Amino acid sequence: MSRLYLYGITRPRDVPARLAADGISLLTEDGRAAIISELDDEAGDVEATRRNLLAHADVVEQMHEDAVVLPARFGHVLDGPDEGLELLALPEIEQLLERHERTCELTLKGTYEETVLAEIGAELQPLRRAYRSAPSVDAGIALGEAVGEQLAARRARDEAQVLDALRPLIMDFASSQPAGEFAAFNLALLVERDRVAGVEEQLEKLSESLSPPLHFKLIGPLPPYSFVRLALPAAA
Amino acid sequence: MQRESSSGYITRAPRSSGLADVLEILLDRGLVIDAFVRVSLVGIELLTVDLRVVIASVDTYLRFAEAVNRLDLQQTGDAKGIPELFEKGGEEAAETKTKGAVEGGMDAIKERIGLGGRDDDDDDDEGSSGRRSRSRSRSNDR
Repeated sequence: MSRLYLYGITRPRDVPARLAADGISLLTEDGRAAIISELDDEAGDVEATRRNLLAHADVVEQMHEDAVVLPARFGHVLDGPDEGLELLALPEIEQLLERHERTCELTLKGTYEETVLAEIGAELQPLRRAYRSAPSVDAGIALGEAVGEQLAARRARDEAQVLDALRPLIMDFASSQPAGEFAAFNLALLVERDRVAGVEEQLEKLSESLSPPLHFKLIGPLPPYSFVRLALPAAA
Repeated sequence: MQRESSSGYITRAPRSSGLADVLEILLDRGLVIDAFVRVSLVGIELLTVDLRVVIASVDTYLRFAEAVNRLDLQQTGDAKGIPELFEKGGEEAAETKTKGAVEGGMDAIKERIGLGGRDDDDDDDEGSSGRRSRSRSRSNDR
């Protein structure tokens, strides 16, 4: 029996022609459907290649444009259709579909301009003087670490401020560690689809008031990647 | 795909685009159905760690120190040619360095998952078979 790659779970409907042409189909059971494609038995494991990751994202995001999709974590392989049907019969799946019927995820990244260092530097005069008068590696690290600490405090403060401003518009959020020296925060926001414009407006207002300017990058509406935790009993 | 807001401080994209987005947005997220599904993966957790450890390094601290020092130079206005130096070495360079740090992480990832150096689009039909990961491991069969 052929193995099936699982992209996610949705409501039964037509698969867009572009995806159908790539072998994407639905395995349907009683108002729920698994988004799948057949895996070549010779192919071995699904590898985390650029191509595979982008394909996974493309399928779940395309399907999510029209209706709810619970995106599966990358790399899920079903042994066959029976396993898919068993999965679809779980009450937890129906509950998640109902919860996310009209939701989407927005990811929000905040990044500082380098001018943030001017503000931080103003509070670190002694260390700066020490470094300027004797620019050793040790003095540099001491100064740099102090800058890093101040930056971390500022990140926490600004993340809290952004969340406070957005709280009336969002259902839930998840925060993850930002990557990059001038990265401020990395948030996943769960919002109703019709609230997306409201979030954008609120961010416009915020970006004017935050100094030095924070740059926001807002991606979405995406499927609720960060909000589909499922607690299931271990396999028998 | 991307557009800027009127104030210029918001970049907007409707979908994830490119490997960097996808790694950040989707890699360790999504529905996990342990009881029903075999997860066939290659060292994914290692990859996300790689991306994040880049941040707090001695290298970073020294760059911070240099950047703050440049502000001193600018304020006191000493040494000729500093404004020009600052222009060139200031924001632009910092941006490059920031990107550099992140891309350094990305390079490590690419290397680890065997995505190769080609920065082409999705039409590379050699597929995954030609790009084996070095740290590849079998899924744990049930």
